[in-house]
Amino acid sequence: MAEPRRFGVGERVRVKVANPPWHTRVPRYIRGRQGSVERVHGEFPLPDASALGDADPPVEAVYVVVFRSDELWGPDGHPNDRISVDLWDSYLEPAPREDASR
Amino acid sequence: MAHINDVGGLHGFGPIEREEDEPPFHADWEARVFALHLALLRAEVYNMDEFRYAIERMDPGAYLAASYYERWLNAIETLLEEKGTLSDQEPPQPRPASAPSGDG
Repeated sequence: MAEPRRFGVGERVRVKVANPPWHTRVPRYIRGRQGSVERVHGEFPLPDASALGDADPPVEAVYVVVFRSDELWGPDGHPNDRISVDLWDSYLEPAPREDASR
Repeated sequence: MAHINDVGGLHGFGPIEREEDEPPFHADWEARVFALHLALLRAEVYNMDEFRYAIERMDPGAYLAASYYERWLNAIETLLEEKGTLSDQEPPQPRPASAPSGDG
């Protein structure tokens, strides 16, 4: 039974800030960064749990989240570049309202 | 991630080197490691996420110095030992070849 999808295509999301000692599929360079949901892949077992041998891991939606280059790298980013990352639902939270215009 | 494999955005690694007409394996041992990994997955000795995590848990210096399939082999050895499938007490022994079947 999959967890409910909390986000839809076009929504602004922010990557939760965390530093787990275990396995996770969140690369450091997107922690706390905001992007937009471009696509929903479907539901998949959470690798953070599966990697520890959990035989019945939570099953969550996986989204393609697109980040602007300057969001990740500031002035060292390239204005034409977008960085897409596949992210599980629990890695994400809604983007703060005040930045909804970005 | 936050393990040594999480190098996105780091400077100093240089451009990705593309090899012309790269073969799938650069040595026979790499193909055996590939096959071994698939067999262990199929036998459900470990799953892909455990495998990736085992690679991430490598000593950072060893990880950076290792080639792609060296990392795979390292992870396989780690998991087999942790799961009790293989221990330091049992160094691999060559097995006698099986007799051909159906010769009766």
